[in-house]
Parts: sequence; C-alpha cells; structure tokens
Amino acid sequence: MKNSIKVERAKKNITQAELAKLAKVSRQTINAMELGKYVPSTVLSLRLAQIFEVEISEIFTLEDSDWV
Amino acid sequence: MKLNYLFPNKYKKIGWLILIPSAIIGLITLILEFEPNYLDFNVPAIFIDEFFGDKHFIGIVNNNVLNEILGTLIILSSLLVAFSKEKSEDEYISKIRLESLVWAVYLNYAILLISFLFIFDLSFLWVMIFNMFTILLFFIIRFNWQISKLKKSAHYEE
Repeated sequence: MKNSIKVERAKKNITQAELAKLAKVSRQTINAMELGKYVPSTVLSLRLAQIFEVEISEIFTLEDSDWV
Repeated sequence: MKLNYLFPNKYKKIGWLILIPSAIIGLITLILEFEPNYLDFNVPAIFIDEFFGDKHFIGIVNNNVLNEILGTLIILSSLLVAFSKEKSEDEYISKIRLESLVWAVYLNYAILLISFLFIFDLSFLWVMIFNMFTILLFFIIRFNWQISKLKKSAHYEE
C-alpha cells in the first residue's frame, strides 16, 4: 500500500514528531509508515485523514501487490 | 487502541532491577549448588515421589527454598520486563511485540526439541531448568533489539 503521508505533512508544514503527537503515536511509527514499512490500522488512518483534513483515500492507495 | 494485558511503563525499570541481580545470583548458586542450611524448611507439596519411598499426593517435604525464591523472582521480574508498556506504546510497537513473541516461541521450541532428542537422563534436568526462563528471555532480547533498531532507523528522515 502506498501513502502520501510525507506529502500531506509537507503541505501542512509539520515535522514527523509534530504529526506523531497529533496522531498520538510514536515518531518511529510515522517514520515507518512514510517508508512503507508499516501499514496503519483503520483507526490511525482515520486519525491521519482528520488531521490532514482530507479523505482517507487521498492518503492511501492500493497497489497490485496488495491483492496477492 | 487499548492494550489491557500490559503493565504500566514504570514497572519495566523495577523488573530490570530485580531480574539482573536475581539472575546472576541464581546462576551462581545453581552452578555451585549452594544451599544454605538456614533456608531448609518443611514445605507443602502437591506431589511427592521420594527416592526410596512411595509416591503420594499432598504432604510435607523438607526442601531448601533458595531456588524457589530465586526462580520466582526471576519469572515475575522477567514478566515485568517483557510485558511493561514502552514509553510510547502504539500499534506499531504492538506489532513488533507480537512478532517477537512468535519468534521467541519458535526459537524456544526449536532448542527444546533438539535438547529433548539429543540430551538424556539427568542432563536433561538442566535443559528443563533453563527452559523455565528461556522463552521470556528470548522474547526480551528480540523485542528490545527490534525496538533499538527502530529508534536508530528513525533518526534519518525528518
């Protein structure tokens, strides 16, 4: 799954640490998500969408490999 | 997400403070077979199988309680170290926790199986003694190693 967390973060002009605080997770988790190493839960995804004030589908996109 | 089966973060430090000394003392007394007389007590037992006696349920045996005390301390403190929350416990940490636990169970049973097949008689008693603690020990090592790796990797990007 691809995500545009880094892009959305740049638009909002906030650091990983600041986003982590807003989303109530650790900075490592934000970092792991941006690197595509961790797929967040539905709850965290919804939190991120609310923080960035966008639809959830604008942040996350399915890839072919997600269907295997 | 709420994880109700973890202890608060502060118990981790308490766990380490008990675990390290009791593990060292436990290992030394085990190797030296140190059993001070003043710790010999008559204690209740669920099952008794005496060397030249009969077998029976429920009774009193004379036993040196040093190994029971140390074993209990090691098990309880390992549980605190293993299952206390991280400072920033979140869903990603939970995933690492689960993966480490599965890994520790696999490793523990791999070693136990090999020992079970190739170590016999009284030597196997040693395997069983260590096996009381290894599953938690493997978990603690793997989990903390993964967490420290994670903290290091997060230093890049910003």
